[in-house]
Amino acid sequence: MRAYELIKETFFRRTYIWVVHLVWLALYGMYWWLFLPDLADWGRFVLIWGGLLLALALSAGIFGDDIASGRICVLATKPFWSGYLYIYRMVGLSLQAAVHLLLAGCLIIVLQSLTRRVNMNGLALWLLASWLLFNACAALSTSLSVVVERAFNSLVILFFAVTGYVIVALLASELRGQSEPPMLQEIIRYACPPFELLQKFAGGEHGQYSLTFGRFSTTKAAACIVHALVLTIAYSTIGIVLLCRRDFSRVRD
Amino acid sequence: MVSPVKMCAFILVLALLEAWALYTVRLSPARWYSAMIVKDEPQARALYDAMTKAMRESKSLSYTAVSSGPDGRATIYDIFLRKPHAWRTEVSNHLTERTTILVGKSGTLWIYWSGNRSVWQIDTADSHQKTRSNAYIEKCISVAGCSIRSEIASLGMTWSNLILDPSLFHGNPDPYAAFIDGIRSQGTEAVGRDVCDVIEISFMKAQRTRYIWLSRQDHLPRKIKEINRLADSHVTVVQWSDVKLNPRIPPALLTWSPPETSKRWHLSPPEASLLKHGQAAPEFTLRSINGGAISLSDYRGSIVWLYIWQAGSPLCRKQMPHLQSLYESYRDKGAVILGLNATDSKRIAKGLLKDNGITFPIILDSSTTAEKIIAEYCGSRTSEVPVSYIIDEHANVVDAWFGFEEQYDRVAAALRVAGARIER
Repeated sequence: MRAYELIKETFFRRTYIWVVHLVWLALYGMYWWLFLPDLADWGRFVLIWGGLLLALALSAGIFGDDIASGRICVLATKPFWSGYLYIYRMVGLSLQAAVHLLLAGCLIIVLQSLTRRVNMNGLALWLLASWLLFNACAALSTSLSVVVERAFNSLVILFFAVTGYVIVALLASELRGQSEPPMLQEIIRYACPPFELLQKFAGGEHGQYSLTFGRFSTTKAAACIVHALVLTIAYSTIGIVLLCRRDFSRVRD
Repeated sequence: MVSPVKMCAFILVLALLEAWALYTVRLSPARWYSAMIVKDEPQARALYDAMTKAMRESKSLSYTAVSSGPDGRATIYDIFLRKPHAWRTEVSNHLTERTTILVGKSGTLWIYWSGNRSVWQIDTADSHQKTRSNAYIEKCISVAGCSIRSEIASLGMTWSNLILDPSLFHGNPDPYAAFIDGIRSQGTEAVGRDVCDVIEISFMKAQRTRYIWLSRQDHLPRKIKEINRLADSHVTVVQWSDVKLNPRIPPALLTWSPPETSKRWHLSPPEASLLKHGQAAPEFTLRSINGGAISLSDYRGSIVWLYIWQAGSPLCRKQMPHLQSLYESYRDKGAVILGLNATDSKRIAKGLLKDNGITFPIILDSSTTAEKIIAEYCGSRTSEVPVSYIIDEHANVVDAWFGFEEQYDRVAAALRVAGARIER
């Protein structure tokens, strides 16, 4: 029962949450009308806006606010393990993303049926990739919010997370040209949220466009999903460990 | 709380899963590279020959090819071919419904389009403004040796390509055929309703691999996939449909005359996009293939033959064996060759240089900085190689051109103008 309450609370955590979802959905629609994309472009747009930025907008400061406001003491009372608090928060966020992406998928289908602009093959894969990326980014951001605990830190975390991603993207772009991938490039590719891999997975690069014979490589697609899930669990584990090591007093920070 | 034993088991399972995922996903050239160089199988070679024969021996052929890559928009080509030298190709993007039509007949090529065309790679802002609608191009082409694939590619209207040049039908050789490592069979697979034999062809020591799905009915392709291994690998897939062998093609489709109201767009020659005599050669500092950096200013006081090349270009491959001997003979006469490659992977580029015993300095750098430098030197034609620049001791351009000539007269003349002590 407590799990359900926590998930529900995470789901409706802020009053402006509906505004975020509506703005994001409106942006998908605007992108459609303004840029006349084909599915590959559109899929990448959902991956960035739904998988990356929505995760940051929804999860930034989630524990920072709880800790700073003192609410954490109410939520994490013994014998309730603090780790559960983290897990249920993450499940709440993940469910919220799933609903959001399903709505985005419906929007795409409606727009497509009205305009007949794109080929819909691969839509399910793009939505799945976006959801997996959302989970990884949300876990990273949530774990970060356990450490950065000042009140109203959401925007600060969002700003630094976006800045960090831009720097990583620029570094990845610059390192792309190097013939022998250096260690830093490998770290960006495999230790950061798996944007590149999921883009390849959803874009069909492990299928028709794989670097071997033309059959869809189910093994590589499965490996991408496993890697994204393992990263999500790893980021979450860091957050859980950090959260469990803290002693919460009833005195406000 | 979770017990430590369970926690350890959980971490171990996660670590194993992650190790498997990384092993499967990781791009590891060492794992596949040697296996990608295909050895010839007679049966597979016979299938390839049957395809060539079917194309060459038919009187007419029409098909629709849809070309796409993971990052590119699909382009549709409706192709009509008739012997001896007539052809028509309609190129359209399924999103915009704009169509560009190329009609080749008896040494003349007309290119025209419906509505407002998009911006092509060869366009300047001015040329697009003036010619986007109600205009056409008329070109003289070689009657016997026109490559349809190259004509389409030279306009830069789309990133995708046909892979297999339709001009094979007219008897033109495939420029990559001379660089086939081997052909092997990959079994059979259905493409739509057609049962196909699949063959795998590797070129240039696996710099490029093609898979061709050949219909058992007419020996013509139904699907072609090409992997072009550059610094990043590029994959293109072309689907053939509505394939008709020896159809009746209405004569009206294979000829065209410009309407009176339409204006002719006189294309600039390709070399117009290169830097001109007397212009300063843009300075650069880029990565050397052997580590470290190479700047153009390192050669101030020497005459430089800047040679822009790609390992996947048949012309560059053909020229490579001559370059080392030219380098050795020019070195004592005050000129050096400096190779510049902004596309290839180190493994493939090094392999080619080793095979040809190249010792002159080579830049291998596919960063965005290198791409910008190439754009400064080659203008809109960044994918056309080889490009040669002769740069004098003061870093000014003496001459520049695309391609290569067998006798190297132009190189020698330009080097003499630059001040090299080369005899006539």
